[in-house]
Amino acid sequence: MKTLLIRFGGLLAVLIGITLITFTISYFAPGDKAEAIAHARYPGDFGIPTEVLQGIREEFNLDAPFVHQYIHWLADVLRGDFGVSYSSRTPVWVIFVDNLGETVTLTLTSLAIGLAAAFLLSAVAVRYPNTIWDRGAVVISSIGAAMPSYWLALLLILGVSVHLGWLPAYGTGTFGHLILPSTTLAFWIMASQTRLMRTFMLEAYDQPFIETLRLRGIPEREIFSRHVLRHSFVPALTMIGLDMASLLEGAIIVELTFSRSGLGSVLAGSVLSRDLPVVMFLVMFFATAYVVINSVIDAVQHLCDPRNLNKAKTS
Amino acid sequence: MSLSQSFSISKGQLVDPLRHFTRQIALVCLALLSLWSLALWLTPYEPAAADFLDRLAPPSAAHWAGTDHLGRDIATRLLYGAGWSLGLSLAISLTGFVVGTFVGIFAARSGPAGDFAVMRVTDSFFAFPELIAAVTFAGLFGPSTTNLVIALMMVSWMKFARLARALTVNLGESDFITQARLNGLSSLLILWRHLLPNILPSLLVLWTNSWSRTILSVSGLSFLGFGIQPPSAEWGAMLLDGKAYMQTAPHIMIFPGLAVLLAVMVINLTGDRFRDLMAGKT
Amino acid sequence: MQQNKPLISISNLQVSAGDKQLLSGVCFDLYEGEMLCIVGESGAGKSTLIKALQGMMPARCDSFTYAPSNFEVCGAIPSGLGLPQARWVMQDPLSALNPRQSLGRSIAESLHKERLPKDHLRKRVLSVLSDVELSEEFYDRLPSQVSLGQAQRACLARALIAKPKLIFFDEPLSALDALVQKKIAHRMEHLRRATNTTYIAVTHDLGFAAAYADKVLLLRDGTVSAYQSRSAFFANPQSDYAIDLVAAAQSLGALPKAAA
Repeated sequence: MKTLLIRFGGLLAVLIGITLITFTISYFAPGDKAEAIAHARYPGDFGIPTEVLQGIREEFNLDAPFVHQYIHWLADVLRGDFGVSYSSRTPVWVIFVDNLGETVTLTLTSLAIGLAAAFLLSAVAVRYPNTIWDRGAVVISSIGAAMPSYWLALLLILGVSVHLGWLPAYGTGTFGHLILPSTTLAFWIMASQTRLMRTFMLEAYDQPFIETLRLRGIPEREIFSRHVLRHSFVPALTMIGLDMASLLEGAIIVELTFSRSGLGSVLAGSVLSRDLPVVMFLVMFFATAYVVINSVIDAVQHLCDPRNLNKAKTS
Repeated sequence: MSLSQSFSISKGQLVDPLRHFTRQIALVCLALLSLWSLALWLTPYEPAAADFLDRLAPPSAAHWAGTDHLGRDIATRLLYGAGWSLGLSLAISLTGFVVGTFVGIFAARSGPAGDFAVMRVTDSFFAFPELIAAVTFAGLFGPSTTNLVIALMMVSWMKFARLARALTVNLGESDFITQARLNGLSSLLILWRHLLPNILPSLLVLWTNSWSRTILSVSGLSFLGFGIQPPSAEWGAMLLDGKAYMQTAPHIMIFPGLAVLLAVMVINLTGDRFRDLMAGKT
Repeated sequence: MQQNKPLISISNLQVSAGDKQLLSGVCFDLYEGEMLCIVGESGAGKSTLIKALQGMMPARCDSFTYAPSNFEVCGAIPSGLGLPQARWVMQDPLSALNPRQSLGRSIAESLHKERLPKDHLRKRVLSVLSDVELSEEFYDRLPSQVSLGQAQRACLARALIAKPKLIFFDEPLSALDALVQKKIAHRMEHLRRATNTTYIAVTHDLGFAAAYADKVLLLRDGTVSAYQSRSAFFANPQSDYAIDLVAAAQSLGALPKAAA
């Protein structure tokens, strides 16, 4: 019970830390925030009178000390009020919901392709160790881990869109638009997961009961599908959860390279146009999602395995 | 050493494999570095010298990797770009290494309350995915080399802090540290003689990983326009130059990408080898 | 041979962690050159006893005297690091030696406080290496480059080099195989006679106690089940538990004939 409380306290502290870091960055970001807000309120109106700017400063407490502003902002966030985009004047929440779908679609498609490929590759590698299949899987996974995804994206565009003319290169919309981006992201997923799955499957093969099964005359194929496979699933899934940050980063690079719409493009666009409410919300969303998901995975693991209770104190 | 003794123990057994490997790597790095400076000295071209009569030329004897849209020699630019892409990421990841290790050891040594506080701060920073933090920071404060370096440094130290802390906590309970304490060694001496030599190998493996990731981040952010700006010959920035001429002159984007891929792969494989040696030892 | 004043003497030692009593009512005294074997099953508090005596665990006692430093307490034992002129040889030599430090340097560290010049220090290390029957080449070896037995010899050397009055041994032989155990046990015994050092050894091996101990302290669940001289303990054990234990060891043939 006490450890649970400490963990919860830790989570709370980290969440507060996230808001603090986010706010600090936006607080010190260059540019007059009052002017940005004014431009959003009165579009097309370039000569904004100083009285109006002063009014906005008072309304948004922009001249108040750091701590005051932070608490004010945090209170809004806690009430679920994330503000309104400076540039489009839509609520940040709406922008987020509108673009979430594209990113989720891209990520899930890539995840499905990448995992399936990784699974096939590592299964073949483990079933036929020290053959060209095994070596090939290792080589592909080390290339994939080192491959700059934006470069792979350009190569795919060059080969498939420019030369063959099969698929559209840039943009969002049809199913065709999804293929190249998700292939790019899937390649990276495949590379990193093949490595892990292969290791886990080899470890599963190393367990003593496998030898017993062989001695009892159970065919290799059945040993593999019944025992080795099952043992390799759970740890691989956990790793995917932990690597979510990299997955998200990959999705953002891919979105930007292929000029797709989605959260990554929104983030980049709003960062460049200094649309602070959008930037702050997105950054906070990514960080919070990461922390919460990892805490949940952690908690589930600990519930499943009481042996971990002692280790938790040191990690 | 007498003849009989040198026969009784095989020679390889007496050499610490980690130290041996580190020495080899250091030699290779030195060789590469001198080769690089030699090439910089030998190349007849300047990285920024435009030649509009010779634009978008494919690879040839005069221009080994061709020329770009301004007629600049790509091979020369790749050489100079190594300084940006590899050198800058080296500096960033080394900073992360040193700062993170310090923070981690400090947390492990500062008692439960200090540990809790330091590690929750680390967790807070860790929550921001590297690239998202870098895009946000570099974007808000204006894309520039300085802001890119600051952004990437801010997100480079947490993994080291976590690992260094875990390793230190584990080692703190070990018998040889107790012995050193009983023998009256000061905390600083214990840190230097007993703790650091034992936690450094694992941190070095993490560092190779961090360096290669930083190379990908630096060139990726430059490619996306958030990092080092053209006309600097950073590999990612060169890729961005090449993107527009993909159809007519694909070599402009092929070579910088290949350079990133190869550099990252070599560093990764070196790290893997080091880790295997470590595992083989214990 | 016995002097009038014991080298170390303790009465009614109490150690507790939280609300759990780890040790209570432990008494013994030892004269110079004597060896006490602390026996008992795991969890009986044997290692706790060693740690408590070195001030590494909060402990209380009625009296505790330690002759080399004219140390006398009653009540709480001050928490500090180790008794002066005492050294501790641990159970697992591989975790007791820094894996990235040569054996020679690990041994030399035992004299850290004396601040000797380097060449002098090296000479002392080499001479103590020969005392534990290790050749000079082991000076530069890493723990991973020697056998377990050799590593435990190095740990023994690390204790001996300081010329301590008292050495604690925490299961010094249990990580080793039988032949090496015997060799090291012999070496320990030889060095004890040669230097007249007092040994306090934790062991679960009654055979070892029967062969080398002067006194035996049997612990069970943190209390003393028997405290006798060796001959008395094996001929005429004090408690039922001790009787069972000695009988069991005899039936397994684990005790030397002289003791049985």
